[in-house]
Amino acid sequence: MAKSKSSPLIALTGVPNVGKTTIFNKLTGLNQKVGNYPGVTVDKVIGRMKTSTGSVDILDLPGTYNLYPRSEDERVVFRVLSGLEPDIEVAAVITIADMSNPERSLFLVTQLVDMGYPTALVLNMEDQAKKEGLEINKILLQRLLGIPVFTASADKGIGIDQIKKAIEENGFSEGRKVVDPAKFCDESLLLKVSGITKQNNPYQALQVLKFKDEEKQIPKEIRERLSELVEEYNFNPAQVQREETKIRYDHVRDILSKCIKSPEKKRAGLTRKLDSIFLHPVFGFGIFLAILFMVFQAIFSWAEGPMDFIDTSFASIAQWVSEALPAGALTDLLTEGIIPGLGGIVIFVPQIALLFAFLSLLEGSGYMARAVFITDRVMRPFGLNGRSVVPLISGFACAIPGIMAARTISNRRDRLITIFVTPFMSCSARLPVYIVLVGLLFPEGESTFFNSKGTAFFGLYLLGILAALLSAAGMKVIMKSERSGTLVLELPRYRIPQLQTVVTTMYEKSKTFVLEAGKIILAISIVLWVLASYGPGDSMDQAAASVALPKVETAEAMHEYHTEVSSKKIQASYAGIVGKWVEPVIKPLGYDWKIGIALICSFAAREVFVSTMATIYSIGADSEDIQTLQQLLSTEKRDDTGEPTFTSATVWSLLVFYAFAMQCMSTIAIVKRETKGWKWPIIQTVYMTALAYFSALFVYQLLS
Amino acid sequence: MNSVTADTIKTNQTVEIVDLDSNETGQRLGEMGFWPGKSITLVLSAPFGDPMAFEVDNTVIALRKNEAKLIKVKTSAA
Repeated sequence: MAKSKSSPLIALTGVPNVGKTTIFNKLTGLNQKVGNYPGVTVDKVIGRMKTSTGSVDILDLPGTYNLYPRSEDERVVFRVLSGLEPDIEVAAVITIADMSNPERSLFLVTQLVDMGYPTALVLNMEDQAKKEGLEINKILLQRLLGIPVFTASADKGIGIDQIKKAIEENGFSEGRKVVDPAKFCDESLLLKVSGITKQNNPYQALQVLKFKDEEKQIPKEIRERLSELVEEYNFNPAQVQREETKIRYDHVRDILSKCIKSPEKKRAGLTRKLDSIFLHPVFGFGIFLAILFMVFQAIFSWAEGPMDFIDTSFASIAQWVSEALPAGALTDLLTEGIIPGLGGIVIFVPQIALLFAFLSLLEGSGYMARAVFITDRVMRPFGLNGRSVVPLISGFACAIPGIMAARTISNRRDRLITIFVTPFMSCSARLPVYIVLVGLLFPEGESTFFNSKGTAFFGLYLLGILAALLSAAGMKVIMKSERSGTLVLELPRYRIPQLQTVVTTMYEKSKTFVLEAGKIILAISIVLWVLASYGPGDSMDQAAASVALPKVETAEAMHEYHTEVSSKKIQASYAGIVGKWVEPVIKPLGYDWKIGIALICSFAAREVFVSTMATIYSIGADSEDIQTLQQLLSTEKRDDTGEPTFTSATVWSLLVFYAFAMQCMSTIAIVKRETKGWKWPIIQTVYMTALAYFSALFVYQLLS
Repeated sequence: MNSVTADTIKTNQTVEIVDLDSNETGQRLGEMGFWPGKSITLVLSAPFGDPMAFEVDNTVIALRKNEAKLIKVKTSAA
């Protein structure tokens, strides 16, 4: 990651909710690069700050309370700062603290100082602390810690210049050590550890020794050697850890008692008042659901315009390219494979950006922690926790941002379960499919008070929720062996969210999706395009030739001719062959091979069902008129028996299939990215498809 | 003096921590500031009384009931 050796790397640390990200954004602007730490899903954000002599790279580490690796975030910080990340060489560390609550931040500072890093402390949210009547003797604090201390109100941009200046002039110092590692064990032990895992400081070595079992990144044979040392020296990690924590807390309390004048009055009254509303035992839930409903509505309706725009833009780009380039296979690949494939990626951006804008607002205001707080108990029986609620609800709009949002869940098991079941929530791509099929079930709009269509929709959404919760509960039983989670969640003060943070989050998340998941989506769309546009030998040409040219070439007749040709072509294509090939498998569900083609093509995205059916039944891909399609489908007869294809049993079976099946390559791509491998997306796809198949089978056999 | 676990105290009651379970979760609570000698206040409870939010060092931290159980506290006479 350290791209240019010339720029020194400065790490930004701090406990959560102290405005660290705000300061990072103010220092680096949009000059940021997101990567991944190896082995974990935590984002590595590095920003570049221009200085008068060149530039400095700033690494935004996840917020942690200390350098003990208990959650995934903490593991990252632990690893980077204990010298276990060979590519990252930290030159100095800046710790951001909440000025009105410095105790926990100072705990972190003592650890950094003991690790030997040149350090500086920023007391942020000075305005708030002053309002609360808190006074800190900065000069004394500086002297006791032995490092420079700055104050800032980053939300208002106050104090940023001072931090920049400190970075430029390298105004850090190593500070006064607090814990002597030699107190806990023989120095030769620490030297031996440093020899094995390359630490250049005794406290780093002690840390590695204490937490070697938390660190799966350390190769097994090295961990075994460390274990031998632990035995040889009779080292007791738990006891050392307890003693060390006590020394640090005593030290921090001693310092604070000397330099802090606490106000008489207690904690901010406004937060208390807001909490009595937002966390009210009865109304709290109502407010939470109302907020979610609004977010969900907004994602649905606000994203619609941009999505339509992207859709039509890519269609016209494809149109333009096909006219500008000479006809041929390469042009077809561009206009029918690559450009629509790219469009299929970009179309998700409005929903992702909007969801993350809202999440960032909720997080920045302090409400998110409250949402977790009130829903935690309800979600627990299903192997989920309070943090699972937002991803699951987002799944109603689109599973992709929901799965990305599951990162906030620190417990591995809970996070995996959340990712696993989120695609069951009925996303907006299922909607067009539901509309066409439910329309077939209840053709004429009955004007009774009790609307059958509405009930069917409600039932389908309910089915998705049930599948998600029951699957989660099942996984909880299977994954019992994994460590169960703890909550331990800070409820920060309510604050006004920072616009810059919201914008940066929207931008970064969209970029991550397009770049990371985009590759896989593009590859699959090209494969699907090849399947649908080529057939063995000259079968496609024969199919095209079998349609007679109209005698009078009116525009209407030619249009009919072309749609007939594309219908015949797709039937003769590899996709058509696969459709016929899978027919025996899907026949028990009540489907024929034409539905088989649509099922295969919907793997790209569910809504493709509608356009594929339109192509197969030759109404022309350009006129996706739902009513025309419904009319055609309702009169469709089976090739073999002559019975109507779309009986209510078949339609219900299809609906259930679409409710459950994993037919979205973008979701698979994002699950692969988020879980760091193909194992989970494959298990998930197999499970969801199997569930879809057997449920559809059951429904069809029951109704027919 | 009465020694009970932190999950049993009433809302707005302030107590002093006397001991902490030595398992890993207990250790983590210690690292988060739930340290013997400190006083904590139950600020509020979620519906069903779980999780519970405690104030410690001017910060509010939510714990599940079975995590609060690991904290032994003494109730002062008041």
